[in-house]
Amino acid sequence: MPAKQLSEVGIVPSAGVMPTPGSVPPTWSRFRYPQSLYKYGALLGAFAFIAFALDYLKIPMDRLPGMLGRMGEMLARRYFPPNVDHILNAEYWHTVVETLQMSYLATVLGIAISIPLAWFASFNMTPSRRYVYPIARLIIMACRSVHEMIWTILLVAILGFGMLPGALALTLFCIGFSGKLFSEAIEAIKPGQVEAIRATGANNLQAFIFAVLPQVRVAWAGISIYTWDVVFRAATVVGFFGAGGMGQYLRESVQRVASRDVAAILLSIVVVVIISELMSAWLRTRVAKAIA
Amino acid sequence: MQTVLEVRNLHAGYADREILKGISFTLNADDFFAIIGPSGAGKSTLIRCVNRLVEPKSGEVIFNGRDMLKLTPAELRGERRNIGMIFQEFNLIERLSVMDNVLTGRLGYTGTFRSIFRLYTKDEIKQALVLLDRVGLGEHIDKRADRLSGGQRQRVGIARALIQNPKLLLVDEPTSSLDPKISREVMGLIREMAREFHIPVLCNIHDVDLACDFCSHVIGLQDGVKKFEGPPAKLDKQALQEIYAMEVL
Repeated sequence: MPAKQLSEVGIVPSAGVMPTPGSVPPTWSRFRYPQSLYKYGALLGAFAFIAFALDYLKIPMDRLPGMLGRMGEMLARRYFPPNVDHILNAEYWHTVVETLQMSYLATVLGIAISIPLAWFASFNMTPSRRYVYPIARLIIMACRSVHEMIWTILLVAILGFGMLPGALALTLFCIGFSGKLFSEAIEAIKPGQVEAIRATGANNLQAFIFAVLPQVRVAWAGISIYTWDVVFRAATVVGFFGAGGMGQYLRESVQRVASRDVAAILLSIVVVVIISELMSAWLRTRVAKAIA
Repeated sequence: MQTVLEVRNLHAGYADREILKGISFTLNADDFFAIIGPSGAGKSTLIRCVNRLVEPKSGEVIFNGRDMLKLTPAELRGERRNIGMIFQEFNLIERLSVMDNVLTGRLGYTGTFRSIFRLYTKDEIKQALVLLDRVGLGEHIDKRADRLSGGQRQRVGIARALIQNPKLLLVDEPTSSLDPKISREVMGLIREMAREFHIPVLCNIHDVDLACDFCSHVIGLQDGVKKFEGPPAKLDKQALQEIYAMEVL
């Protein structure tokens, strides 16, 4: 629009706002040098690395085609039919309940530790960006970076066999998992409410309770249930490394090379994990509705 | 007249960008100051430097006889209790009730342990009820803040600031999220309350007409520099042109 019409209604733009005729570029293209070159170069590099990795690792692609057939054959020959009798006994179901209890304890303890840790590890709300923030981040990262099975092996070596090392390993896993998600939820809150609470003379803890918790509680409830679900899945296997629960049963059958017993146990793990997943999804929607 | 707030040569900003370039003014008891100016002039930063929601770089903010910039964190929290603040986006705790929102104004006076369980005193609850009635929300006490209309929310914001029993009110664009009619109601309510409780007000407002109608004194900011100061009557076309750096209708 020409500047003349704007000035007629009383608006005189300061110099440099309106383009003067002749300053319009003659053409326009989506592809610019050198940005486009970098973009497509990077894409090409990514594909080239796939080829390089396949070649370097000497992956025999020709073995892939018959894989499904061979797998079906092996399963049918050695694992079928699953020896259901092996898991249909009170002793096995007792370990299932133990696994459930272990995962529950680990999740409750882990989340209780995660709550203050996530507060300290959120960049926007941490009481001290210089000291508390990096330490809290380090703790969460340390819990995350070591796989839960490695934690189990370490803790079994320290504490001996049983439920205790399993529950502790899962607690550490839970801290790493929910701690990170919790602190990310805090970092996404609206800062205005924090400002308003701070302006009343409230201290850090009061700001956390009144400005942060009401904003994150729905997200946190969902994360907590999801965490329990993931911890339970991990709990089914920690016994394999000597930490109690269903996994111990699995290990014993594997060592006896009782393939049809193993098949039955694996099947039962799939079933309970699916049940826990369905339950956690149902619970999450219910809880979100109840406390929104 | 008694001086409540004195700002001297206030500078604020980041390493690469200066937002306030040496602002000075004096606010006396019963004053109602309007700070006007274009977007990005530093109005919000100026008001937030007073209670140090934004940390200034240098200068002095003398409030209640002390330099706010020299206070320790604990002293600052103590002094913030004496400064009520009203916000553009209301900044209510959306998932708490109206009553709980108003009572958060007392957090500075409530011990940490008591505040965890929301144990406010009987007097504080009585004050909250009286204030909610005064701002016209007597029927909405138990409603959640996110179920209120914009005008009602700002009234909760006003009650929350007043229950602090403040010696100064900072008001940051109280009407930007409201329609013109409700804007005038809200400004009227703030003025009425400020007069009744003898609280001086420092109010950011981009609407020049509202500023002139409700405020006793106007400060014009442009690009971090004070371009005008005086009563609304002296705010003529030339002064506005100076502040907004453009022809005004």
